Amino acid sequence: MKLTTKQLTLCAMLTAMALALSYVENFLPLSLAIPIPGIKLGLANIVTVFALYALGPGQALLILLARSLLGAVFAGNMNALIFSLLGGLAALAVEIFLSRLPRLSIYGVSVGGAASHNCGQVAAAVLTLGNTAPLYYLPVLLWVSGFTGALTGLLAAGLFRCLAHTNLMKE
Amino acid sequence: MKRFPELKPNGWDMMVLAVVVVLGIVLSLGWMSAETDRLTAKISVDGVETEAVNLPQLRQEEERTIQANGYTLYLVLSQKGVQVRESDCPTQDCVHTGIITRAGQSIVCLPARVTVQLQGTVAEDGVDAVLG
Repeated sequence: MKLTTKQLTLCAMLTAMALALSYVENFLPLSLAIPIPGIKLGLANIVTVFALYALGPGQALLILLARSLLGAVFAGNMNALIFSLLGGLAALAVEIFLSRLPRLSIYGVSVGGAASHNCGQVAAAVLTLGNTAPLYYLPVLLWVSGFTGALTGLLAAGLFRCLAHTNLMKE
Repeated sequence: MKRFPELKPNGWDMMVLAVVVVLGIVLSLGWMSAETDRLTAKISVDGVETEAVNLPQLRQEEERTIQANGYTLYLVLSQKGVQVRESDCPTQDCVHTGIITRAGQSIVCLPARVTVQLQGTVAEDGVDAVLG
């Protein structure tokens, strides 16, 4: 894939923002309200959805791979890599598909992505733990993803509204 | 800019939300069970079952100390169910899960890679109840 300097810069900036969002959301511990391993707001999904529309699937994938790898390196935990990769790839695949449907808005794309992210993470947990115990959490994770997906959809929609008249959107 | 997304939610988005919610309901109906008697607690470390405890046979509360992948978990088992009372793992999700009491429920500690699953024991032969 050939990237212009502008695209490369945008990808790098979005990767950094996704990492920062993943870090910041640790201070909003959703897991205290709903004690399920790995439950979170998924604010980095805003970056994925934004990149998917603004830059296209290829660059969205690049950003996803870079942030998964760097996130695991920063956490000092390579075990986290399989979780973020399986979750992230499942989410991106579903979001690419949903975003091609003619009538769906950014909300539906975001909710579908959040739900499949959780499916990917549960799959990673099943693989890592070697038994089916994590499947028990899938229903609750799906319900929560309806809420978190709508929230990240709202934030991504706000982002597009704010950027609608800037140079960034005029290409 | 490749494409500008539709920014207002509509009925199709509600469809996606409905599919996600209904999928959750279907899965929960399939996996949850009302079984609270005849429970067996299966404790696994790294995917290998280390112990299966038949809960109704417990005379009193029993404790288990499980050391796995650098962490230590204190399990409490009773006729009612199982809970992780204490753990030195960073996430503490296993402790916050609280007590599990029904077949199909489980406690997962990702850092320690420990799981506890409750399974209902199907007693096909043998006496279910004796009526006087």
